[in-house]
Amino acid sequence: MKIIKYLSIACITCVIVAGIAIPMVPQPHSWLEFPVIPGLEDKARNIFFHVPVAWASVLGFLVALYYGFRYLRSKDLDDDLKSVSSAGLGTMFCVLATVTGSLWAKFNWGSFWNWDPRETSIFILLLIYGAYFALRSALGSDEVRARLSAVYSILAGLTAPFFIFIMPRIVGGLHPGAKGDTAGSTPVAQLHMSPNMRFIFFMGIIGFSLLFVWLLNMRIRVARIEYHLSKNEN
Amino acid sequence: MVEFLNQNQMFIVLIITLLIWSGIILLLVRIDTRIAQIEKRLKKDE
Repeated sequence: MKIIKYLSIACITCVIVAGIAIPMVPQPHSWLEFPVIPGLEDKARNIFFHVPVAWASVLGFLVALYYGFRYLRSKDLDDDLKSVSSAGLGTMFCVLATVTGSLWAKFNWGSFWNWDPRETSIFILLLIYGAYFALRSALGSDEVRARLSAVYSILAGLTAPFFIFIMPRIVGGLHPGAKGDTAGSTPVAQLHMSPNMRFIFFMGIIGFSLLFVWLLNMRIRVARIEYHLSKNEN
Repeated sequence: MVEFLNQNQMFIVLIITLLIWSGIILLLVRIDTRIAQIEKRLKKDE
């Protein structure tokens, strides 16, 4: 876990420094220059931050699905704690992706919210996971709560890749990668970035994935101690 | 403000980075609060 912790800090620090400090020029000649992406200009740097955060949220939902599935097989409450900790972290990253995306939308598309397919799908995902936490808080017994939320996290986790990767690509919209999008998609959605941009981008993806693992580990440990304490008190 | 940000797009990147940073800080503060509560409960048990 120590390596993961330090590696995530190192990767994210590099991404912040490189993503902000490297200049954008029309015709780059060295590795320390990014090409200007028409229509995005300096805002293209947001790719290094906004996309990895959205990726971390998908990771959170998929890990919640995995532990939900494991709970149903093992009936071990520890798996339930892992599942809910991961879903919470995924929701947190999902909120961050929505807020940062909305701010970016204001300056690229003209308003904070456009009901673009991508925005609609992330809104539905937030509603699904909001309902998940409402469901959990409404149930009293540990076993019933764990069983129902495991089933719910599997169903919700299965919809997450559809809402994030598929739905925004089969419907026309403003977001890069939408159906029929030719201008904006090439550098961003199809990852046809310059090699140095792609390197920083994947470093961001790895950095945020590792940050997710570290934060998840902390949350699980705390939830586990809380659970044992409340059990001992009863 | 919007006009300023349109002309100085680096500030949009800065705001987005700060938003993500504040989200991570919020998570850490939440974990810290939960640990403090655990410590309190442990002290009570002693």
